[in-house]
Amino acid sequence: MSVYRKLSPRNGRHAHSRRAAFYDLDGTLVNLNLIHMTLFILANLGEWSGRVSYLLGFAARVPRLYLAERDDRRKLNTILFESFKGVSHDRLLELGEEYCDRILLKHLFPRAIEMLEANREAGLEPVLVTGSPDFVAEPLARHLGVADCAGNRLVISRGRATGRLAEPVMAGEDKALWCERYAAERGIDLAECWGYADSNYDMPFLASLGHPVAVNPDRKLKAAAMSRHWPIIEFEMQSTADAAPSGDERVQEIERSESDGAS
Amino acid sequence: MARPESKIKELKPADLRHEVGARRDLVVTLNRRSERRLIAYGDDFLFEKLPVGTRVIYPPPPLEALPDPDQAIRYALLRPENADPLFAQLNPNMRVTVAIDDISLPLPPMRRPDIRERILNQVLQTLADYGVDDVHLIIATSLHRRMTEAEIRRAVGERAYKQFWPDRLYNFDAENRAELAMLGKTDHGEEVWLSKRAVESDLLIYVNINLVPMDGGHKSVAVGLAPYQSLRHHHNAATLRDSHSYMDPTRSALHRSSDRMGKIVNDNVNVFTVETAVNTRMYGGMLDFLHKNEDRFTDWDRTRLSGFKWTLRNLSDDLRRKALQNYSSPYGMTGVWAGETEAVHQKALAKVFQQYAVPVKGQSDILIVGVPFICPYNVNSIMNPILVQCTGLGYLFNMYRGKPLVRPGGTVIVCHPLRDEFHPEHHPSYIEFFHRCLAETTDAIELERAFEHEFVRNPTYIHMYRYGHAYHGVHPFYMWYWGEPARQHVGRVIAAGCEEPEVAARLGWDSADTLDQAIAMATSDLGRSATITYLHLPPIVIADVE
Repeated sequence: MSVYRKLSPRNGRHAHSRRAAFYDLDGTLVNLNLIHMTLFILANLGEWSGRVSYLLGFAARVPRLYLAERDDRRKLNTILFESFKGVSHDRLLELGEEYCDRILLKHLFPRAIEMLEANREAGLEPVLVTGSPDFVAEPLARHLGVADCAGNRLVISRGRATGRLAEPVMAGEDKALWCERYAAERGIDLAECWGYADSNYDMPFLASLGHPVAVNPDRKLKAAAMSRHWPIIEFEMQSTADAAPSGDERVQEIERSESDGAS
Repeated sequence: MARPESKIKELKPADLRHEVGARRDLVVTLNRRSERRLIAYGDDFLFEKLPVGTRVIYPPPPLEALPDPDQAIRYALLRPENADPLFAQLNPNMRVTVAIDDISLPLPPMRRPDIRERILNQVLQTLADYGVDDVHLIIATSLHRRMTEAEIRRAVGERAYKQFWPDRLYNFDAENRAELAMLGKTDHGEEVWLSKRAVESDLLIYVNINLVPMDGGHKSVAVGLAPYQSLRHHHNAATLRDSHSYMDPTRSALHRSSDRMGKIVNDNVNVFTVETAVNTRMYGGMLDFLHKNEDRFTDWDRTRLSGFKWTLRNLSDDLRRKALQNYSSPYGMTGVWAGETEAVHQKALAKVFQQYAVPVKGQSDILIVGVPFICPYNVNSIMNPILVQCTGLGYLFNMYRGKPLVRPGGTVIVCHPLRDEFHPEHHPSYIEFFHRCLAETTDAIELERAFEHEFVRNPTYIHMYRYGHAYHGVHPFYMWYWGEPARQHVGRVIAAGCEEPEVAARLGWDSADTLDQAIAMATSDLGRSATITYLHLPPIVIADVE
């Protein structure tokens, strides 16, 4: 066998192919989870007596939520979003915006956002793929300048949430299927795409992408990532003081120098 | 013919100091009665009979260590080469940066106190005595992984750790763009970038360990404290193809480039270099038989070897790796010099060659090397296939001055199990490089053109390098380029004892289940009269091939 094996003309990097980076939200870009979001919204619904009623309803679901969390993320989402039954769609949209502005933005991992921007600069279009409801995910996506976003959608009837989730429920394999459809419609090769998620339930989603990354992984995902040689990264809520200011002349000089070298 | 065994017995460090000719006795030709030979094989050792006529090159015995290293360091700081003594360069208002070699040196890590600790203790005491408060300690990692807190503490010692960690003792960050400064360009158009803190210091002190002659000199500062923007000028396939060898700085394009850059650094920064050399006492105590000529094994040596192999065989992979990685070497310091970079480096180089050089007559058709469990880039980590390639073709092939040990078009047999194993935290970009890039081509020039820039700027790898403990995204490319002179020179590489042939195939190598089979494969190409050389490791040897 020759010591050298040449690059075949068919292979190599496809310089003009579209690429995307898919991000999970809870635990990946923000250090919050769905329960926190649900509690915030229930605690801000209507008069205080109404709030108590919604919160008691939620409390009654806790044992089922606990069992579902151990079993199946799809089931957990279904049970969790039953809590919104009867809430007006307008109110949910309003509270979603409020939750995003008041809570989510303060809990974004600074380095996660740095990475999202750096990936975007590297030609990876950001896509948010989350189990959070669309009325929370979409305001955040707008804030981050992310054009495409997929969250769980509540079935709305006569202006009010029915408590049921519309298909596809963004969890487990459905998340992976959504990514496949999304990529197929836009001519994106999933093998060239990156994906970031934190939970073992995101395994099918991560496995469907060419470059899966486990972010702040739970125990099971960490073990899976180790055995599959996936990168593991940790985001923390700390300052980015050591990162370069974007307008720094030196940074621009380095970038110029690199582009010279690359050419 | 085998040389009389008694001659090795007579070799004393004192002989080595004065009589280079005595080292010819370190080259042994095997006969029918010769003992089997120990060959490094990843986390284990092979003990194999080699064909009659095989030439085995042994490392010289260790030079005597300095009896009082602390006093020698003190003397070096007081009587530097081509420079004022350290104390005479100090004033209380100055800004001083001390840069330190990282965990890639020495191998395996040395027993405490580490040389770096000894030097730092005296340098820091001198700085304190003269009222210098603005002092930073930077681990010169360049694009290597950040050392962990425990690793830094072990290398620099308690005093420096307690006084400086973490605000003033930290790893260099080649991706913190606000902390880099460009010093200029060489007459070859090479951009010289450096740590801004080092550039803005009134005095930069570099504390080095020379394990091999490739280390030290201008390479310390101009590489250790430099980002990709500088490294790309010499860590590339074309430059490394023109390096014959890395262990011979006079014939290495890599060193010529880093020397040019180092001169720009020294024109702009007041650099005070401290270089050290160590002896070949890599394994001591119960493991000192690893250094011996196997023909002179005593019953006690054989018993220890059997026990050692039995222990390794019966440990799980993880435990075996941990046990080996936890070993620390009883290296002795053989010299320390301080002052102007080039003057210091010449003295250090002379001592390093005095320790390692063995004269060897002529090249052979087949070179056998055993890749051990450790290399500069997998301390406390996993020896992945890219690193096996780098160690076998990059380092061990290059252990020569003059001509390579194997003739052009010859065969290199690399002994290693070659498993598809990677450390996801330390070597994330290696995984993609191996599975994606090498699947398309093994040509270094093509890899550089098609993929390097993408890996350099990959945000995930940059994040893991800056905030985790990952080697920079571009590092696997450098490891691949490192093997380029060997790939240009040899006709065939065979992985002996290979457990996963598809891994060898990915590297562009052939594979053999056993060393015997590998030798048979090589001789079937080159003929039964093919000559064989085995480079005996540990510890380290550099062949002066005539």
